[in-house]
Amino acid sequence: MKGLIPLLKKEIKEQIRTHRLLIVGGVFLCFGLMAPLLQYFMPQILKMASEQVVVEIPAATSLTSFTDFVSYFGQFGILIAVLVAMGAIANELKHGTALITLSKPVSSGAFVNSKFIAISLTLLVSQTVAAVFCFGYTVWLIGEAALLPFIWMNLLMALFLIFCLALTLAFSSLFKSSLAAGGIAVGTTFAMGFLASLPVIGEYLPSKIIGWGVNLLSGTGHPYWGALVVTVVGIFLCLYSSQRILKRKEI
Amino acid sequence: MIAIKTEQLTKFYGIVKALHELNLEVPENVVFGFLGPNGAGKSTTIKLLTAFAQPTSGRAFVAGEEVTGDNLALRAKIGFLPDVPAFYDWMTGREFLHLVGELHSLSAKEVKNRTEEMLEMVELKKAGNRRIAGYSRGMRQRLGIAQALINHPKVIFMDEPTSALDPIGRREVLELVSRLKQTATIFMSTHILSDVERVCDMVGIINKGHLITVSSVSDLQKQYTCSMFEMEFQEDGSRFVEALKQIPWLSKPEFVPDHGRPMVRVTAVDIARAKKELPHVIGESGLTLTRYELVMPDLEDIFVNVINGRDTK
Repeated sequence: MKGLIPLLKKEIKEQIRTHRLLIVGGVFLCFGLMAPLLQYFMPQILKMASEQVVVEIPAATSLTSFTDFVSYFGQFGILIAVLVAMGAIANELKHGTALITLSKPVSSGAFVNSKFIAISLTLLVSQTVAAVFCFGYTVWLIGEAALLPFIWMNLLMALFLIFCLALTLAFSSLFKSSLAAGGIAVGTTFAMGFLASLPVIGEYLPSKIIGWGVNLLSGTGHPYWGALVVTVVGIFLCLYSSQRILKRKEI
Repeated sequence: MIAIKTEQLTKFYGIVKALHELNLEVPENVVFGFLGPNGAGKSTTIKLLTAFAQPTSGRAFVAGEEVTGDNLALRAKIGFLPDVPAFYDWMTGREFLHLVGELHSLSAKEVKNRTEEMLEMVELKKAGNRRIAGYSRGMRQRLGIAQALINHPKVIFMDEPTSALDPIGRREVLELVSRLKQTATIFMSTHILSDVERVCDMVGIINKGHLITVSSVSDLQKQYTCSMFEMEFQEDGSRFVEALKQIPWLSKPEFVPDHGRPMVRVTAVDIARAKKELPHVIGESGLTLTRYELVMPDLEDIFVNVINGRDTK
């Protein structure tokens, strides 16, 4: 994969210089803080809002805090992963920077994979920061929490975000419009989310691994190994397709 | 030695024939000007020669390498300047050249040295640490040239390299191109004919996907020399026109009074005879000749003639 190292260095530098790492990290950190803080302070907020109306809210637990965290990532985390990746290739094709880069002895694999690795690192670093704060605040404000299931849940969620990223990159190499790439990637991801509720086929769709993560937190339900395998294979297929599309594309 | 060779190179876009059986040979160390009107097939040819497009049929060789999409050895031997070079605007010019050097697998020392050499050559040394986003159009074009040369390419492809530059920028780029032919072959597509006259050793003219002619600029001028003579006299030459009308191997003699200086213009029916006998006719007229010229067409005239000739076929 000729040219991977210099391109990866350039991509990582771009994540920092264009403040993408800072922005994604900041937004993810908000998710990490929001879950335990809202769980803890919501009863007090509601009480302050109206003293006459009594709203029964179940007591905050580490499980509800972590479930909220998963919920934020399952919706907004995906959107952010798509937003960050949708222009990665499409914009280079549209603006002509890909033309100069690919005129050098660089394989299309190196071009795609450098972007994939750099954006994955941005997402992983941001998610790790968010997870650390979420866990810390949950333990501090709400009480004891099991660390290991939380780590496993985060790994599964990270894998799903990386799948969304790979899917978006594949569409980004197909279209010169980043909006088209992003729109189709979001549509496909959410469609998979709906299809995941179907019997049999749903158990093999990548979005099911988020459900598996929640099951790990609550200690109920069963693992979805089929979905895990499909997700990993899907990531490789998306990256391979992206390289093939780029290789055949007239730039 | 041949730097660029194509064999029956053909490209179709659907049913549109963008390039038809191009057979071309460009020798080493020349500046080759590829001329043609808009939509003639110039950019398609460059795309095919730089492996950014796949031919429908035919083959091409550049710097001894067959042009295929996955031939990275080819890319290591060529330099490419697109018509509108685009860069990562968040980078500085120096950082961008550094990246390009690394992509060419130059050693760390070579990368550093070549980056500085290139910045010096294109006069961007002072602006090297500025972000590319703040570069002017001319500076971007010069950075584009620098990135195309960093690897000591054997063949350099330039797509309309001067089209968006001001006269000073154009002159600088053309001087650079002239210097480069000592070490590389330059394939330059353009429709600015004065640029071609100034720097190109060879010219290829393409229209509607067909290569019409390949020749040196001087040979083209000889080939398309028109049989028109222009004469200027110290005295009034209007009466001489009447005398010329009687000569059967001449036609359309005319007196052109509103030219900068009044002149007589005549077309030869028999050019060889006219070259031999017209000076005697002038001598016998008793007029004092101040200018006598067999008109050489400029490249613009030739270009128009060639293109129109092809169109009428």
